[in-house]
Amino acid sequence: MKKLFLALLFTHALIYSFTLSAQHKPHYVNMTEVGGLFGRVVYDIPWSVPLSQQVENRLSLTIQTFNGVQLKPRLAVGLTTGLDWYNTALLTPIAAGVRYDLTRSKKDVALIGTLDAGYGFNWLHVNNTGYDTQGGMMLSPGIGLKFGFKSGSAMLLSLSYKRQEAKVTKPLGWGEIEKWEDRVYNRMALRFGFMF
Amino acid sequence: MKKILLLSLFSVSLLQWSCTDQCTETRKYKRYTSVSVSLADIRQGVRTESARDLINPGKIYTKGNYLFINELKEGLHVVDNSNPSAPKIISFIKIPGNGDMAVRGNILYADSYSDLVALDISNPLTIKEVGRENDVFTTGQFEGAWWGVNTLTGVINDQKMEIVTETVKTNCEGGGNGSWWGGVAFSAFDSRALQSSAPTSGSTANSQGQAGSMARFALYSNYLYTVGQNEMQLFDIRTPDKPRRSTKINVGRGIETIFPYKDKLFIGSTTGMFIYDNSNPERPEQLSVYQHAMSCDPVVVTDNRAYVTLRSGTTCNRGLNQLDVIDITDLRSPRLLKSYPMQNPHGLGVDFPNLFLCEGTHGLKSLNVANDFDVKQLQHLTGMDAYDVIPLSSKSLLMIGKDGFYQFDTSDPSNLRQLSKIPVKRVDI
Repeated sequence: MKKLFLALLFTHALIYSFTLSAQHKPHYVNMTEVGGLFGRVVYDIPWSVPLSQQVENRLSLTIQTFNGVQLKPRLAVGLTTGLDWYNTALLTPIAAGVRYDLTRSKKDVALIGTLDAGYGFNWLHVNNTGYDTQGGMMLSPGIGLKFGFKSGSAMLLSLSYKRQEAKVTKPLGWGEIEKWEDRVYNRMALRFGFMF
Repeated sequence: MKKILLLSLFSVSLLQWSCTDQCTETRKYKRYTSVSVSLADIRQGVRTESARDLINPGKIYTKGNYLFINELKEGLHVVDNSNPSAPKIISFIKIPGNGDMAVRGNILYADSYSDLVALDISNPLTIKEVGRENDVFTTGQFEGAWWGVNTLTGVINDQKMEIVTETVKTNCEGGGNGSWWGGVAFSAFDSRALQSSAPTSGSTANSQGQAGSMARFALYSNYLYTVGQNEMQLFDIRTPDKPRRSTKINVGRGIETIFPYKDKLFIGSTTGMFIYDNSNPERPEQLSVYQHAMSCDPVVVTDNRAYVTLRSGTTCNRGLNQLDVIDITDLRSPRLLKSYPMQNPHGLGVDFPNLFLCEGTHGLKSLNVANDFDVKQLQHLTGMDAYDVIPLSSKSLLMIGKDGFYQFDTSDPSNLRQLSKIPVKRVDI
């Protein structure tokens, strides 16, 4: 097991050295991050006259992992999957992801740009009786800092914007024919993680 | 390099300004608003118009080659059904406040809010009003909206039902309580004809049509029987074009349907089924009451069996969804034989040994009821809305739903064949 790990590390180091060389060879790359989705919501207080609004802050847990190929020394493309735990929706986004080094720095710290676009699924969500939660489109552009280690791995700190759509159909009350809620989660994602 | 850093930092932070969840709840509901209609206008309002599309169909009634489809509160569509594979809407009879109808010979009886109108339908293209009995019904309802008459001022106080769409910003926590957003005080009673029956063969002379059992109108002997919320009003129709009001009998509360079978009357209410002996057509006498849980309940009868469906729904709160088979060999003490669970049964029609049952949005079911204790499902048609059926002796079935009027060939009850469909042109819902 240890041998295998060492072998993996070795190949990584090897690959990393290749990326530095002019003749770059594509290799596997993984970025796994955990963090929070920060935001707020402004809503109408039902039946208030005159209509008044209330503001509440929102914070949700987010876990995400990017698995892809380092195509060029500065560009990686792949698949981003994860878990976003909103208060009343547990969504699983599956997205196409791009990671690009914005700076051509020789130093250990690099600025990276990230972009993920895909769909958030409701696979892990459990509904209350009478409710039906559907996922929706997801878009997330952002920037991050990559602190490289000598081993070739790196530590990540990222800040991105996340837009996630969802739709919930609700049980009907008296005289109601149809009722649903359209949601757009607009959140700031602050994440910490590792890349190898 | 610095430029890129600053630019990207700037753009990302700009996006953060909009980090506010945007959630809107949209709900469509029925809203009732008061309207007043003058009796004078109503009494001038009956006329024949050119054919129009089905918008909000109610009860159906068939007579010979013609079909009458009620357009709630508006009047009746006249359909030429000589070829069930290609029915054709030929005209529209405008009758303000109409919901029920019955036909004998060439005379069609229809309600028009508080009045009973007799129409000559010998030529379906030019239907004329021939008789009218004023102020016989005091109250009634359409789609949960009640109307009442004020005879002093000559005004009908009615309610108009509208479908309203409302959108509010929510806190994105849709798991909350639905009643938050309030409800309309009125329950959504469905005034449609939800029930139906097999042909009531051999009842009386003079060719008369067939109605669903949910019909509030029934013809027997020289009388037209109409049921209101809690009473039964009889009309003497010895002179067919001049209906005259006759006896009025108090029945009970929440009366929904009247179904004549041989010399008996079966009256369905929200609390049970009343059986009346009609051997003296002028004075029907109550024989018994079969009580059940409070719920919406159409009744159909064949020989010594009655079939009652109970359904849940906004107005039938405690309702169960089931089909009850009742032994009525002894009319003075009806006996429940067995209950079968159903999804949301509305109208039903029996053509022994077959029973056709409307399951609302769940479609239409064809059942075999030959064995009371082992009712078998032969077929379940889905993908359509089913409210009301009339099985005809010619092995065909008329069915009305929210999405259209259907006709089926029932010669093979386990494989109903759709003959035709008149679609409903509806803006909302």
